Amino acid sequence: MTLAIEATDLVKEYGDVRALSGLSLAVERGEFFGLLGPNGAGKTTFINTLVGLVRKTGGEVRVFGDDVEDDYRKVRNSIGLAPQEFNVDRFFPIREVLMHKAGYHGVSEAEAKRRADEALELVGIYDKRHTRFDWLSGGMKRRLLLARAIVTDPDLLILDEPTAGVDVQLRHDLWEIINRLNDEGTTILLTTHYIEEAERLCDRVAIMDNGRKVTVATPEELMERGSDTITVELRDPPASAPRLDGAVTEIEDVRLEHDRLVVRVEGGGGRVAPRLLNALEDRGHEITDIEISRTSLEEIFVELTEGQRGEVERDGPERDTLEAY
Amino acid sequence: MAAGLHSTRFYALLKREFQRYVRRPWNTFLPPMITNVLYFSVFGVILGARIEEIQGFSYILFLLPGLVVLGAISNAFENASFSIFHGRWNKYIHETLTSPLSYTEMVLAYVLSSASRGVIVGVIIAIIGALFTPVGIAQPFYLVAFMLVVTLLFASLGIVGGLVADDFDHLTVMNQFILRPLVFFGGVFYSLEILPPLWRTVSLLNPMVYMVNGVRYGFLGYSDVDPNAALAVLSGLTVAVVVIDVVLFARGYGLTD
Repeated sequence: MTLAIEATDLVKEYGDVRALSGLSLAVERGEFFGLLGPNGAGKTTFINTLVGLVRKTGGEVRVFGDDVEDDYRKVRNSIGLAPQEFNVDRFFPIREVLMHKAGYHGVSEAEAKRRADEALELVGIYDKRHTRFDWLSGGMKRRLLLARAIVTDPDLLILDEPTAGVDVQLRHDLWEIINRLNDEGTTILLTTHYIEEAERLCDRVAIMDNGRKVTVATPEELMERGSDTITVELRDPPASAPRLDGAVTEIEDVRLEHDRLVVRVEGGGGRVAPRLLNALEDRGHEITDIEISRTSLEEIFVELTEGQRGEVERDGPERDTLEAY
Repeated sequence: MAAGLHSTRFYALLKREFQRYVRRPWNTFLPPMITNVLYFSVFGVILGARIEEIQGFSYILFLLPGLVVLGAISNAFENASFSIFHGRWNKYIHETLTSPLSYTEMVLAYVLSSASRGVIVGVIIAIIGALFTPVGIAQPFYLVAFMLVVTLLFASLGIVGGLVADDFDHLTVMNQFILRPLVFFGGVFYSLEILPPLWRTVSLLNPMVYMVNGVRYGFLGYSDVDPNAALAVLSGLTVAVVVIDVVLFARGYGLTD
């Protein structure tokens, strides 16, 4: 089946600065795909390359099999974009803004009006349909960006930090809408700074840094790469931490903190905990309480991007790229 | 580069551009109305009464076609340059750029809507002039043809201006320091016949001379230059600038990173 997005060795240079440095990425049709990365990682540059706001320097990128430059009209027709910036027409009431956008995609005027009303109702700002963009509150502006992205009924919906700076209620509203669209078959590409957002919504995430892909995995797979912490409370704490590495191979570190034993294990703590408890009981310890804290995706994200920086710094030819940022 | 027009897409952008200026008459139509009432009052009536006839026409009648051209091309240029630049400045031109419109469709929508504003302003000025002095149309075909060509030409030049400008000041500079002097020395207020031979020859290098005289030929049946040659050259120039516009859009000049 044709991929929704297929980028191969994508490069974008601004003078000496490389915003995209040989990015290769594949997003399946119907997938909810997340792009994570620190500021300047190249996420927005990548998105803008897809919709024609950035011209690539090298490499190839296709959307539903069509080249973004050679077949630009087909590609742009299939994409709905909710960008980070408020780039909305200030001259017209928001319903007309949506009708214009639908019209640019070849939708007839009557149908555009119906779709505009439907999109405004979906995002909850239908009452403001006669208002111009500048008079909307910050949250309503975010809602409008989503409405504008979906009014053309896109096959690929791109959301660039859609919930940046919005309150919890709106964030949950937006998540619900996006999830519903994905369930109905729309491919979603989401960039976000909120790790929780990626964890809750995405089928797979790509972590980007310095214009390249660090890794692609499901949120669960990423979590498995981290270290969980199991804290065990003992009735009679020993003078020093017991040796358990022979009994449980996943143990990375054991230390005693007052009457509690803190054990860091590789991968999922829930899987390791029963064997750990057995090992402790075998050694004569009586357990009164246990707590497992899972590693957060945020910690893994920081670890991976920092690791990438170290790798790039050690890599001679890429040094200029890093310094240019 | 070239692509066929998809009527719905093209019409949507054309309509948006048209409505943008039509819905703001206080900004788009009132200023040229006031300016031209002043021009006709001061230059036409008060000073004009003391100026001899030019080629058998009263001064106010001689002046009228020039003022029509001045208003028409200024508004066509301003509309296109402002629409493009304001869209770039506030980034809402992305709504157009991220849509499946061809670059030709985008350019033609901006050019035609801006030219239409120029034509409307030209008609308004002619009507204002007619309130001051009886005016006929000696050569209707030439009047319509020249009005279309000069507004299309300046609308397409306005697109270049809107793409090149980095600041609102640049738009003012283009209008005040390039467009206006060319128009004022383009025979709006005088006939080339009254100039010394050297300056008459120099004036013939000014493209405005051909535009003003072309429209004057349409109204009065009199021109300092050959109207057919002027129409041919201006038409060629218009096509060339429109092609440049499409190339600039296709390359993303001033529009993409």
